[in-house]
Amino acid sequence: MPNNFDRELTLKDLLLGIDSHRLLTDLQGLLDAPVAILDSQGICLVGEPLASESTASLALVVELESIGKITADAPVPRLQAATDLVTLLLRINARYLMASDLHMQTQQADFDELQRRHIALEKSEQRYKALAETLEQRVKQQVKTIESAQIKLYESEKLASVGRLAAGVAHEINNPIGFIRSNLSTASSYLESLNKIDALVESGASAAELRTVWHAEDMAFLQKDLRDILDESINGTDRIAAIVRDLKGFSRINEEVDENADINQIIRQVCNVAAAEIRGKAEVLLDLGEIPLLHCHPGELGQVFLSLLMNGVDAMSSVGKIQFRTRLKEDRIHIDVRDNGCGMPESVLTHIYDPFFTTKEVGKGMGLGLTVCLNIIKAHDGGMEIKSKPNQGTLVSIILPVKAVPSC
Amino acid sequence: MALYDEENNKLSIKLVYYGPAQSGKTTNLMRLHDILRTDLKGEIMLMETANDRTLFFDLLPLGFKAPSGLLIKFKLYTVPGQVVHDSTRKAVLSRADGVVFVADSQRTQSVNNGESFANLEDNAARVGIDFDRLPLVVQFNKRDLANILSEDEVMERWRAAPWPITFSSALEGQGVVETFNALLPQVYDRLDGEFGFQQTHGLSRDDFVRQSTGQTAVDGIA
Repeated sequence: MPNNFDRELTLKDLLLGIDSHRLLTDLQGLLDAPVAILDSQGICLVGEPLASESTASLALVVELESIGKITADAPVPRLQAATDLVTLLLRINARYLMASDLHMQTQQADFDELQRRHIALEKSEQRYKALAETLEQRVKQQVKTIESAQIKLYESEKLASVGRLAAGVAHEINNPIGFIRSNLSTASSYLESLNKIDALVESGASAAELRTVWHAEDMAFLQKDLRDILDESINGTDRIAAIVRDLKGFSRINEEVDENADINQIIRQVCNVAAAEIRGKAEVLLDLGEIPLLHCHPGELGQVFLSLLMNGVDAMSSVGKIQFRTRLKEDRIHIDVRDNGCGMPESVLTHIYDPFFTTKEVGKGMGLGLTVCLNIIKAHDGGMEIKSKPNQGTLVSIILPVKAVPSC
Repeated sequence: MALYDEENNKLSIKLVYYGPAQSGKTTNLMRLHDILRTDLKGEIMLMETANDRTLFFDLLPLGFKAPSGLLIKFKLYTVPGQVVHDSTRKAVLSRADGVVFVADSQRTQSVNNGESFANLEDNAARVGIDFDRLPLVVQFNKRDLANILSEDEVMERWRAAPWPITFSSALEGQGVVETFNALLPQVYDRLDGEFGFQQTHGLSRDDFVRQSTGQTAVDGIA
């Protein structure tokens, strides 16, 4: 650490850098007598201590107080002149010492400050390095978190629409099950007539006896009716199978494998599954043009069409019309969903893609329908546009690019 | 902080003249050296460059003896006002027992005064001085010039400040002793507790102020 520039300087400090031998020689030359310079403690700093009776001494004052004295065997006026000369010398030296100490002090302070900043800078550089290293990993984690949250949102929206369908689908399935059950009961009662004839055949009855019983049991009608109820039951199970097959299209939302699918077919399935929900509220018109298979995620697109269909149904105050129209234009599949329902004012239109924005009553949706639709369409590199006018209806236009189908 | 030297029965008190460049800090010291009649008055040490700008500091030593025999030694320093010498200003301000802030009264210098005062506050904090307890006088110098702020304007601007405000024309020797006089009682109060001026050394506040400037009771204001 450098000295404080403003410390009290002693005589010894002030003689620093002055050639004491030369000083002594010059003083003795001037005074023509032995000379000594002593500090305030009486320690001799220049020359030899003098013990003579006639020795005179004068104080050395650089600032205010005596910091030492000059002694010599010389007349006082000459000693005074010598003292003034030495004082002059010491003052000049003091000026130099203080300036150089101050210089050292500020240099050291500046250097310390520089080092402190350097260390701080190095620390912050290390922090940034560490941050940069973990940043990539943290971004990946965040992306994963966001993706899983999004999947959960899709699933919940999916559940909401499926839940809404459930009652209708149950009815659709229950109907055929009811008449198949009834048909099977009838068929089972016909077995008794067959058993009677079987018993006669076993007992070796005559052809006349057999014919009598045949007529009595009205076997002609029974044969025809059995054919009818079996045909009806087969139709019934086919209807159930169709509904189940259409439903399966919606149960595959989490499968990440894309496949080549027929958009028209997906639209038909959606209309079938939602048949019960639509009945009595709207008439669905399908205008499905020639379009190629699309490499896509059929379950997700099905969800989009279902959402749009349900929105159309919900827009109806009386029985209205909902039209699906598909066309191929310049390697793009255009899908229009048009309804003549209540439409939306501008104030609602600006918010339709906002998550959780909904105009429907509680229980009819979470306000994610169009948000999810838009995300799905975007995931297929497509676009979606909605035009609407209050009391005239709504047109949703979707455009999906036909991608080159992977050959594998 | 004042330094007590037991061996030589001496107390060194450091007072610093602070302020913007060329506001008259060195001139204050030179006039005090001319005017004051303190018992012990050393030679003024000036460190100026060729064009009268202070390079490191100026120093005026003053002193007197208390009734107890204690030598009370003042060292009056100036700082270099130029912005670039901030490290030097900090070192000179370090351990100060009191500060005279020499402001330039000219209207054009208001911004410089403000920046320099903020710099004083910053540097005081950096060298460990409690600015709120630091004895301080604000002197508006160069009252002899034209186009200066009026006394009313200055008092209005500094109305909320707790420090004494003085007006001076250091070049003409006006107000420099009054400024020094305004600082001394604060310095006495600040150091009395630690060094027992009244109790140990039989030195009252009035005597401290009078002897510091060399006034006798008959003299009145110097």
